Amino acid sequence: MTISSLRKQILPDGLVLDIHVHPVHCFGPYTVASVKEDVQRLTASARRSGVTKMCVFSLCPSTPYEPTPDQCGEANDYVLAMRDKAPEIFIPFCYVTPAYPDEAVAEIDRCVRGAQMAGIKLWVARRATDPGLDPIMVQAVQLDVPVLQHAWLKTTGNLPGESTPCDVAELARRHPDARIIMAHLNGAGFRGIEAIVDVPNVVIDTSGGDPESSMVEAAVARLGPDRVVYGSDAPIRHFGVSINKVIGAEIPVEVKRAILWDNAAGLLKMDTR
Amino acid sequence: MIDINVWTGYWNTLFVKGDVETVRRTVQAYGVEQIFMAPLDAAWCPDPHLYNEVVYKASDRYDDIFPVPIIDPTLPNWQKELNRAAACTEVRLIKLLPGYGGYDLSETDDFFTSVCEAKLGVMIQVRIDDPRHQHPLAQAPDVPASSIAAVAERNPDVTIIIGGASTSTIHALKEQLITLPNLHADTSQLDGLDAIKILVEDSLLPKLIYGSHAPLFMPASSIARILNDLDDESAMKIMRGNGERILNYDF
Repeated sequence: MTISSLRKQILPDGLVLDIHVHPVHCFGPYTVASVKEDVQRLTASARRSGVTKMCVFSLCPSTPYEPTPDQCGEANDYVLAMRDKAPEIFIPFCYVTPAYPDEAVAEIDRCVRGAQMAGIKLWVARRATDPGLDPIMVQAVQLDVPVLQHAWLKTTGNLPGESTPCDVAELARRHPDARIIMAHLNGAGFRGIEAIVDVPNVVIDTSGGDPESSMVEAAVARLGPDRVVYGSDAPIRHFGVSINKVIGAEIPVEVKRAILWDNAAGLLKMDTR
Repeated sequence: MIDINVWTGYWNTLFVKGDVETVRRTVQAYGVEQIFMAPLDAAWCPDPHLYNEVVYKASDRYDDIFPVPIIDPTLPNWQKELNRAAACTEVRLIKLLPGYGGYDLSETDDFFTSVCEAKLGVMIQVRIDDPRHQHPLAQAPDVPASSIAAVAERNPDVTIIIGGASTSTIHALKEQLITLPNLHADTSQLDGLDAIKILVEDSLLPKLIYGSHAPLFMPASSIARILNDLDDESAMKIMRGNGERILNYDF
């Protein structure tokens, strides 16, 4: 086997939409001086691994678990500026906190209705069972955008406001018309997959955690090929490591293409191909 | 290509295909020609030596498999197990799992004196799986990589490879890796944007050896973190040249 054939083996053979990316200014590994540098760092790395487009959301440079509405606003301004620099690559999501439902609704109105952000990001301020999420979900349905909800199931214990997959399933049942992306397949694990099997308005993204064998296969087997979308969690994770969870999985090539592009593009209602 | 960190066996929290033949085929599919294989089941066994037979037999069957026996320096029969490893020409590396054996590396100096006499390299595994994903009733903490560097410093004639450390851990050990000629690191759990590229820019290229952590992790991902960010020459140093230089030192 030559090194060039090996290179070909680990690169995608089509378009790739990464549903889960953060700016470098949130998680490093570089200290970036400007939005422009952030865009350059992320784009260069993504391109080397074959990523075509990425959904990007900032969690603020200091990544507070309890962000203020002002911090969310600054985070959203940052990713809008990233889109301004490279509109062909970056698809910004609006970051809000359910701790401030009214402010969250106003921010979504500003960013999604006003600035055409493509989705909403929820992190660890409140669990998905919290009623503070309800007005956010109602507005997501009205504006017809998906909500990407962080989830993890940690042996070492979740954060107080960190959702489990069961929390996400409960959220989806409360809001059956919402389209929910549950983040972190490898963080949710086998039990997380099972938690959402019977909740059709939830898809799972492949981001987060190590490139463990058999996880993508398990997700496809239990949820079906249409309910798995590729995400990396870059820059915390490496684009190529994450993409190869899909490329290296023992699933049909058409399912790989669906995970790497079609499913996410459909979720975002993009004109594609 | 050399894969320095391959396992055979099964794991409590993942559904892996861990038989020798399947693992061998899996890593061969990504160009690996020398497979350094350790017994995965040994991690949770009170006497991990019992499982070493699995990799000795695998090596008997396949020329491309090099057994990596796991030795617990706190077991009374460690010298016997070490002697067996030293007597097998295919063994160039042994592995320690202090996180699972529950011992402190500072109490293993006699053992490393014997390892030096046996002219074997040692991989010391920082982690096998993310503590956040371990079974709630079977948890093993990460081994502090600084304690592995300290072993290398106390035993300058023994080749020491840090197995399964994160990018930030290796980055934090940059000075020791550069200063200690016998200290190296595998790539099996390096992750994050530009992970290996940054370490190479830190002058650590000669210190990195390719490891996949198969079958627990996917070899495709392990290869991508190297090939996607490095030119052919640098990548091949990690995937072959460094391993040849470090492991074949006495052959």
